[in-house]
Amino acid sequence: MSGVEKDLESLPYTEYIREIMNPDEIFEKPEPLKGIRVLDIGTLIFGPMVATYLAEFGAEVIHVEMPGRGDTMRPLAPFADFHRNLAAGFEATNNSKYHIAIDMRTPEGKELIYKLAKRSDVVVENYRPGTTDRWGVGYRQLSKINPRLVYISMSGFGQWGPFTFRPSYDAVAQATSSLIESTGFPDAIPLKAGAWIGDYYGAMMGAFCVMVALYWRDKTGQGQYIDHPQAENLMRNMDWTWIYIGLTGKNRERYGNKDVAIVPSDIVKCKDGFVAIAAFKEDEFRGLCEAMNRLDLFEKYADIDERLKEENQDVIYSALHEWAREKTVKELEDLGEKFGFASNKVYSSEDQYNDEHWRARKAIWIYDDPIFGSLAEVAPTPKLSETPGRVKWTARPTGIDNEHIFIRLLGLTKEEIDELYKKGVIGKWDPNVFFSCPPSDWDEKSGLFYP
Amino acid sequence: MSELEESTPISYEEIPWNDWAKENCDPFKAAEKPEALDDIVVLDLSYGSFAGLYCSSLLAEYGAKVIRVEPPEGDIARKMTPFGLKIKDTGLAYIVEGRNKYHITLNLETEEGRDILRSFIPKVDVLIETFKPGYLDSLGIGYRQLSKINPGLIYCAISPYGHFGPKAKSKKPDYDVIHQAMSGMTWTTGIPEEYEEYPEHTRVPTKLGPWMGWYVGGGFAAFGIMTALFYRNKTGKGQFIDVVPAEAQAKTNNYYIQYYHTKKRVVGRIANFDPAVFVYTLIRAKDGMAFMAGFSDINFYALTSIINRPDLREKYPSIKERLTPSTWPECLAEIEKWSTQRTVKEIIQATLDYTGDGTCVAGEVLKPIESFKEENWWLRGGLRKVNDPNYGELSVQGITAKFEKTPGRIKWICRPVGADNEIIYTDLVGLTKEKIEELKKKNVL
Repeated sequence: MSGVEKDLESLPYTEYIREIMNPDEIFEKPEPLKGIRVLDIGTLIFGPMVATYLAEFGAEVIHVEMPGRGDTMRPLAPFADFHRNLAAGFEATNNSKYHIAIDMRTPEGKELIYKLAKRSDVVVENYRPGTTDRWGVGYRQLSKINPRLVYISMSGFGQWGPFTFRPSYDAVAQATSSLIESTGFPDAIPLKAGAWIGDYYGAMMGAFCVMVALYWRDKTGQGQYIDHPQAENLMRNMDWTWIYIGLTGKNRERYGNKDVAIVPSDIVKCKDGFVAIAAFKEDEFRGLCEAMNRLDLFEKYADIDERLKEENQDVIYSALHEWAREKTVKELEDLGEKFGFASNKVYSSEDQYNDEHWRARKAIWIYDDPIFGSLAEVAPTPKLSETPGRVKWTARPTGIDNEHIFIRLLGLTKEEIDELYKKGVIGKWDPNVFFSCPPSDWDEKSGLFYP
Repeated sequence: MSELEESTPISYEEIPWNDWAKENCDPFKAAEKPEALDDIVVLDLSYGSFAGLYCSSLLAEYGAKVIRVEPPEGDIARKMTPFGLKIKDTGLAYIVEGRNKYHITLNLETEEGRDILRSFIPKVDVLIETFKPGYLDSLGIGYRQLSKINPGLIYCAISPYGHFGPKAKSKKPDYDVIHQAMSGMTWTTGIPEEYEEYPEHTRVPTKLGPWMGWYVGGGFAAFGIMTALFYRNKTGKGQFIDVVPAEAQAKTNNYYIQYYHTKKRVVGRIANFDPAVFVYTLIRAKDGMAFMAGFSDINFYALTSIINRPDLREKYPSIKERLTPSTWPECLAEIEKWSTQRTVKEIIQATLDYTGDGTCVAGEVLKPIESFKEENWWLRGGLRKVNDPNYGELSVQGITAKFEKTPGRIKWICRPVGADNEIIYTDLVGLTKEKIEELKKKNVL
């Protein structure tokens, strides 16, 4: 043991960290949320993704869908281009979960939800405010069955207030929070993010809230309710926008890629691509000016306050763009390393996928799913040394884990289950709806947890 | 429905759900309720990084005692402010993330300063830092050394390339634009090259306006810390957390990695369309822009009914036709024949008035200054006015989530550099007033 410690002591720093983080040993380490059961009754992204983040760190997540077609997310494939019946959107939003299908609007379906809620630690939902309460599976009902329950409702605008009944999608939150109107160039159109950031990132903040509530429950034994509004979450992340408007009465405009609070910080077009560049601290700015062979700029604008003046920003940004135009991506990246300023190519998914550094970090997680074969995810984030996150399997066909959960967890008999199938209270995938099904060449055995 | 309700063993409450939620999760009553994290002490050593600052803000909002450690001249993040606008020498963005934090100074480049840091460590649960990988280790105060003083320490490091891997030794500094560029999201955001009606310099990959790389990185870091705290409660063990904001933001970048792996295809810039759902786009109105969605068959039915264009259903009957990129501008032009005759408000009203099958969703695209005026945020405490003894009356982001039993809160807004030296050094490290003065003179504090 002491020998191991000595070895670690003598290692250079980043190698030492690699040792304690070792991506090859992830499955040998414990899962921090083992023992936490999450009942994920939501749909699309904003609710289910909360549960996915928890599943990646070891929570047992049961994703409840409607029998047959299943989750509305199941057909969300780019360009309607599916991979063996699996939509990339559904895949990215669900991994390492158990998939069961209950029509929870039926009395028997509700009974099943009560039984599950009694044995769960967390419930996640993202229907329109009041819907689960009306169905009888809201916080008011489930917390009576299980007072230790942490119940989180994810919605566009929260459970009360003037906007509460507005239907919401990611883009509505982006639009209302004004993220869209602050993205893009002033002489073109406002821009939606190229991804559902309000959903995927908002869901992460939901997962953070669940952890805060679980931490408190550990001390007090009490569960609680959390109302998580998507649009307000995006507003929270608008940095200086609101305080600026309150003070000046002026709008925050669209500034394209240049930053008006950190100068310089921009994205430049060069000979063979686009590169992000930033250099705010004095030594970084000097390094950049040296690389540009423009020490005159440094002499004039070494002082940060000078650089931030609107008229001087223009001078600096114009010089940066002009200089970068004749460089290559590689040259700009190397110059950043040499002169100590920040520079990195604007990455596509292909760049990320093939980046050796990301691969060495296992930031891209490539794995074999027992049902769908070889797949890749962005790895669980962040990376923890003692209790790292992991991807175990991908999203599964509708209702495939019914028996596993109803028999082994709830103690139902085969006869009771058959009765529920007959009544349509529970169900599996619909053979006529391909995106709810296993791949057509599935052997009907691989990947089953039951029998 | 009534039959269903009778069959359940649970009785329904008298008051409507929304009223219950408001009554029980009212953020303005937060001070009457306990704080979830009030037994946690956090040292935030971050420098020039809003990822670190936002991460500790989240913990501070839920009651952690967060001690901001700045060098004697202050964190350079105080200078990151639009057009140089400051209040009392502190930039606007920093003021927002100074909330509920004690502000002390400590010079880690002196041995005395490092000794003081070490004396903190037994009392600290979480340490956050954003220096270049190995910098604190080289000073003898990295995870390797501090975890020996306190094995329960949760040490969270945030950096652009992470603390291991071939690029971990990079000398490049940490900036939001770098995270956004590396995340993959900048690649898909923006106007495609071939949309020649827009100026050339605007047809480029475009970062999101605010510092989303930093904020997303900080948010994931806070989740990692909570997960580690939860585990520590069971085992007593601390750990190292390696946060790369670009990896975090990549996690929010839809399914683009998944799609590349199976199809070897890259999704490029998509303007205001969406490769997996159409109609789901911005549309022009008489008086600005709106968002409109109706993408599943039933919801496309709703949309085409509202604009009275059943012919579009025949032309684009399934998602197959609707997700062909050439369809997007073509079909959008047809929808805009209707929408440009109407105001944004009229468009939204039309979708709300619709009572047929399916749902069509529309929303306003608000400018920040318009959004600022929406009563909704102020009523829910998403935006707050605070009156701070140091910084005056300000409008800032409030607390996002509304907790029933342990609501987050803003106790104060920010503090000047070193303002809490005396209280923290006396209370936590036992330094006398004289000693503090002496250390200040020696530039240790």
